[in-house]
Amino acid sequence: MVKAVAGRAMEPVLQVENINKHFGAVHALRNASLAVWPGEVVALIGDNGAGKSTLVNVLTGVLRPDSGTMIFAGERVSFSSPQEARAAGIETVYQDLAIAPHLDAVANIFLGRELTMPGLAGHLGFLDNGKMRRETEEQLTRLRVRIPKLGRRLVTLSGGQRQGVAVARAVMWASKIVFMDEPTAALGVAQTEMVLDLIREVRNTGIPVVFISHNMPNVFEVADRIVVLRLGEVVAELDPRTASIDDAVLAMTGARRRDARGEGAVVG
Amino acid sequence: MSISERCGAKASRRTIVKAGAGMTLAATLFGAGHLGTAARQDKTYRIAFIQGVIGDNFYITMDCGARAMADALGNITIETQGPERWGQELQTPILNAVVQSKPDAIMIAPNDTTGMIAPIKAAIDAGVPVLCVDTTIDSDIQLADVSTDNVEAGRVAARGLAEAIGEKGQVFIVNTIPGISTTDQRSQGFREEIAKFPNIEFVGEEFSNNDANQAAAIVSAKLQSDPELAGIFGTNLFSAQGAAAGVREQGKVGQVKVVSFDAGPTQVQDLKSGAADILIAQHPGDIGQIAVQLLHDFLTTGNPPDPKKYVTGATVITKENIDDPAVARYLYLSDCANYKLSDITPQEVAAPAEATPTA
Amino acid sequence: MASTQTPVAPSLEAEPKPTLGQRLSNAFTLLILLAIVIIFTLLQRTTFLSIGNLNNVLIDTSQLLLLTIGVTFVIITAGIDLSISSILILSAVVAAKVMIQFSGTPEQVAAYSFPNQAMAIPIGLALGVLTGIVCGLVNGLLVTRLNMPSFIVTLGTLGVFLGIAQLLTGGTTVAGVPPAIQQDIGLRDLFPWPLFGADFRLIPPMIIAFVLTVAAAVLLNFTRFGRYTYAIGSNMAAARRVGIDVNRHLLKVYALSGFFAGVAGTFDLMRFGTASVGSHQSDNLAAISAAVIGGTSLFGGLGTIGGSVIGAFIPATLRNGLVISGVPAFWQNVAVGVVLILAVYIDQRRRSAEERM
Ligand SMILES: Nc1ncnc2c1ncn2[C@@H]1O[C@H](COP(=O)(O)OP(=O)(O)O)[C@@H](O)[C@H]1O
Ligand SMILES: [Mg+2]
Repeated sequence: MVKAVAGRAMEPVLQVENINKHFGAVHALRNASLAVWPGEVVALIGDNGAGKSTLVNVLTGVLRPDSGTMIFAGERVSFSSPQEARAAGIETVYQDLAIAPHLDAVANIFLGRELTMPGLAGHLGFLDNGKMRRETEEQLTRLRVRIPKLGRRLVTLSGGQRQGVAVARAVMWASKIVFMDEPTAALGVAQTEMVLDLIREVRNTGIPVVFISHNMPNVFEVADRIVVLRLGEVVAELDPRTASIDDAVLAMTGARRRDARGEGAVVG
Repeated sequence: MSISERCGAKASRRTIVKAGAGMTLAATLFGAGHLGTAARQDKTYRIAFIQGVIGDNFYITMDCGARAMADALGNITIETQGPERWGQELQTPILNAVVQSKPDAIMIAPNDTTGMIAPIKAAIDAGVPVLCVDTTIDSDIQLADVSTDNVEAGRVAARGLAEAIGEKGQVFIVNTIPGISTTDQRSQGFREEIAKFPNIEFVGEEFSNNDANQAAAIVSAKLQSDPELAGIFGTNLFSAQGAAAGVREQGKVGQVKVVSFDAGPTQVQDLKSGAADILIAQHPGDIGQIAVQLLHDFLTTGNPPDPKKYVTGATVITKENIDDPAVARYLYLSDCANYKLSDITPQEVAAPAEATPTA
Repeated sequence: MASTQTPVAPSLEAEPKPTLGQRLSNAFTLLILLAIVIIFTLLQRTTFLSIGNLNNVLIDTSQLLLLTIGVTFVIITAGIDLSISSILILSAVVAAKVMIQFSGTPEQVAAYSFPNQAMAIPIGLALGVLTGIVCGLVNGLLVTRLNMPSFIVTLGTLGVFLGIAQLLTGGTTVAGVPPAIQQDIGLRDLFPWPLFGADFRLIPPMIIAFVLTVAAAVLLNFTRFGRYTYAIGSNMAAARRVGIDVNRHLLKVYALSGFFAGVAGTFDLMRFGTASVGSHQSDNLAAISAAVIGGTSLFGGLGTIGGSVIGAFIPATLRNGLVISGVPAFWQNVAVGVVLILAVYIDQRRRSAEERM
């Protein structure tokens, strides 16, 4: 179904085929298929309700599909929880900022994976805050992410800085792939740029990023490939270097679907 | 009025001096020898009154009595405190703080017979003498106890009810919560006295858990099983109010007389509206007066009160006698403007040491 | 912006340094407490700041302090525990009943003799605390399994636990508790040396309250348990997504609140030698307002043990000073209420100023 972009020699990191998901009468995903290769940024676009979030949720273990296959790192998998997906190296930045605003950046980054002290203190649950902080600093330097004042509670930071923490957390822990569901939806221009830069930086480390956005200029700025969802179906795959924003909008809304074929849009 | 008649025994040990211009001031002095210590009379003594609960007409009236006596004695000031709700854990910090203010004496209505022992002992250990009013503690560390004779008050209620029902018919008690000494004593006195009327049949006692609704339900049920019921004694406010409601619901107003305890504005309103036929008024003002008198005597002479127990009486109030000044003076007050010092003395109400359980 | 550009994150907004005012207001509640102490010290030099009086305030506040600390954990998770006052009463009643039961035959107890009290008292204390934990677990189970708002659940159990206590006692004070619990344990002065004057008493409830307060602060600040407590209150969905077993954690938090209330219940026996079902009825609101005065947010995610300690002592100190000064009781309520509103208002202003940066 999904055609590999020319010149790809490697195996895809993630390959899902014919995913179906119903919510009662709503058929949220219809035979959706998607493949992601190392080192690429895939933009997932579509109108509201197209099924983008549902697809990401299926791929990250939040939801279980009704049918379909999922091959991850060469193996068939089925995640029954986000923790399983995370353990496999899949990280997600959720649409609704899944950070704890009253905790600082280090606590958020290590949330659910806290490092504890060695020995008895560790068994009693004593945190090794120093070590967590050092590791955070190391990783963020590696990723060239700058978060001011790691020790400040996130409520005191701007929206962009907060999203930066959420993105940094995903990026820091991801070993295989990062999903971002509308990571820039709530952000201003400068803050959005920061997140886009982060996406590129992650891609440069070889880890692919799948990100959802409604902002077409952003999508065209950062994506290597654009996948269009409409009514739960993957209806098109666009190359941002050749397709235009109009092409993308039309694929999303379906207005030109009849004559989209052969006009720069690759229909899946 | 039924002030205890047991006073005579100890009266001879004291001299009662009535003094004051135009008013009956009862200053009890402990023999002529002590009159020589005039210097002590110049000193002003601070007495802290810790109420059982603030804002209660019973304790407000007691406060009025205490203050009126303090004014009459001239060298006493009263400072009043108390918890917002009944509770040893609320009263203890207040007692502790009061002790820190170093009053010369404390009169307190303890919130718990057991729980307040240790805090009161701490106050006494800190050098502040403590006298218990109304309620008491299960101990003998306090200087003295001044309280209503609840057994006697129960008897007064029985006599009042007997008169109202023409000394014949069935009577019933709606008590509040089992195990409360004051209400249990009222019930006991009532039953003892009512047994003396040959044509009155006592048909039992039920507990309302201090809930007027439960009391109403109990009385409604009772009136179903004993339609000839003639009188009900509610041992406290809610029991009596609920009993009256039950009587109304069963359409027996007039036929069944309801005795309510206490004489605060609520009860007086109940009396005037017909929800209660008889009120039994305690004499909280007298309790306050006697307490201050006893403390004054102790502070000025250094002799602790003897005996240690003083019990005040109770008065029957009906629609007919409520305007009689001799009766109306026992209605509980909301402020002290109209309080009149009574001429009661500790001797009149001293209880023999062994009798009268007050716990 | 080209993807090849190296310094990735653009410089974010400059970090404003906290102003002196902000730094001061961080300790705002502490300032209120100090102000109260200073005012009363000036008014009542001799008595307010005496060792004996401060000692009294410490002892009198020990139960409220424990309730406040327990409920602080719950409030940080964005929950509420209204049932703590009833848990306290029920725990005290159970402890008292057990002590009476085990300390001798009914005849012996009635004769005021308690041959087995050395065994009965520890068992009673343990079962009293256990009762608190069980009550807390019930709250936690109802909140997490039935997915009901904690306000409703604990409003319900507020009545249920009190009702059980009333059923166990017939609505009256439990009498006949071995007096040793009070005389030999609860009121035993563990610091009989006159170093701080004869008025200073170091009694077991104070030590227990102190140790548990420190332990709670350590738990909340330095352990995973504390971290999860904040995370759940800050964003429960986020906590779930990162794999925190939120229900399990909440269960523990409510059990912890029950534990603190249970210990406070045993203090009733230690301090008063009796368990009274009519008492403590408004302690739940007192504890919650103490936590709030201390900076705990009812919306969750915020709160410290230090703040709650101060919050518990502000009304206690205020009332103590007002009583010593002879201020009539009704004015004390006004003063305490005004301080509550003032403390929370200024704290909120400080926070929103901080968050607007
Ligand atoms: N938990 C859910 N329960 C019921 N319907 C859902 C749920 N999640 C999504 N849907 C429905 O599935 C469709 C796809 O939703 P979603 O994946 O959120 O769209 P998108 O993210 O593309 O805007 C919508 O019709 C939406 O209403
Ligand atoms: Mg979506």
